[in-house]
Amino acid sequence: MLGDLLLVPFVAGLLVTAVLALAGAGLFLRGSVWQALALGQWAAAGGVLASVLHWPVLPVALALGAGVMALLQRTPDRERLPLAVFLAGLAAVTLLAANFSQASLAAAAWAEGQLYFAGPQELWAVAALALASLVLVLGLLKVWRHAQLAPDVPATPAPAAWLRLTEIAWLVAAIVLGSMVLGLPAALASLLLPAWGAAHLARNLRGHFLWAQSLALAGFLIAWSLSLPLDQPFAPVLVLVNVVLALAARMVAMWR
Amino acid sequence: MPPNATPAILSVQSARLGFDRPVLGPLSVDVPNGARWALTGPNGVGKSLLLKAVTGQARVHGGRLHLAPNVDVSLLGQDHPRRQPWPLSGHDWFRAMGATAPDQPRIQALLHRRLDRLSGGQWQLLRLAAALHSGSAQPSRERLVLLDEPANHLDAEVRGDAVSLIAALPANATLVMTSHDDDFLRAIGVENHPLEGYFDAG
Repeated sequence: MLGDLLLVPFVAGLLVTAVLALAGAGLFLRGSVWQALALGQWAAAGGVLASVLHWPVLPVALALGAGVMALLQRTPDRERLPLAVFLAGLAAVTLLAANFSQASLAAAAWAEGQLYFAGPQELWAVAALALASLVLVLGLLKVWRHAQLAPDVPATPAPAAWLRLTEIAWLVAAIVLGSMVLGLPAALASLLLPAWGAAHLARNLRGHFLWAQSLALAGFLIAWSLSLPLDQPFAPVLVLVNVVLALAARMVAMWR
Repeated sequence: MPPNATPAILSVQSARLGFDRPVLGPLSVDVPNGARWALTGPNGVGKSLLLKAVTGQARVHGGRLHLAPNVDVSLLGQDHPRRQPWPLSGHDWFRAMGATAPDQPRIQALLHRRLDRLSGGQWQLLRLAAALHSGSAQPSRERLVLLDEPANHLDAEVRGDAVSLIAALPANATLVMTSHDDDFLRAIGVENHPLEGYFDAG
């Protein structure tokens, strides 16, 4: 099924999908969907800007993504400001693409995704992030559980500041790397839709994480097995498959 | 302080409280350790704001708000809207609150259910139980339990359970609550303290 050329993209895609599903479940619990859109769009803007400046893509995308997240963390507004920041990122990419030919190519790559061209460099970065996710997962769960409580306050201590900062940095890395490997729409679809579908199916928090992983990985495998034989670009197929799976999850939850 | 007086677990001295700017005070109040207090008064007098200031959700703009050392504070907020969908169970809520669920059958029956599928009364009862038991696994530390309108949303079915839960609070824990429900306050047997009586003169 997998030739040598496609093994690296397949493994990189599968790993980053698992990381995005975890991040998506966390963002769902934090109610930070718009933040993810804004962060992803500015990661793409960073990638396009890096292509213009001939700088390495990942550090620039990470830096802009981190800057946006830092800005959004300073305000309790979870909708309007993130939406404005998202639109500003979209405008920045469009303007760069209109004025620089290499930016136009880079913008197309971020929009369409280029999973089939993922190489060892992307694979190592994704593997490192997946490993970090395994190490951090208990701390991330602690932060996300605590985020459910307000306005109630527990007698137990809140997660330490370093853990909350680590969670934000990890979210930035997941969304930036996911967008870089899968393309922005496919990364957002893997981030947001499985978690949304899982929220209808799960009986508890643990079930939410397991369902999010199951739906995201199933979506990736279905999209992979459809797009290659049908000679279609992977990213839009993945988006459509994830939409269908999420809607199916919602319908199943309504019937049972 | 008189020689035999109970030391204060919470001491507020000429404090001005608010969020971005002060809107309450100056007020001065000492809550004795082990007290069972209900802060009363009309809407807007500042009862909820005082509780929020104790937990750090509101700011102290002047004066002083001091908690005794080694005190763990839990708060039941006045209202907790639930998202839809919200994939948390009762067990998840108790874990997040750092609480062990009490043995009461009605609470035990809610632990496996999703929070977004509970009635308003069941949700309020579950939150109340978690706030009352949060941190109870550490008996060496003192506890201050703050309840902001705990009788809200309680229907007849769960009201008795709520009264039993509050009444069962151990003697080494201090309770400060707000409520407009006089019958509820009488059933619990707390001391009423009108908040207006603690505003500094002048």
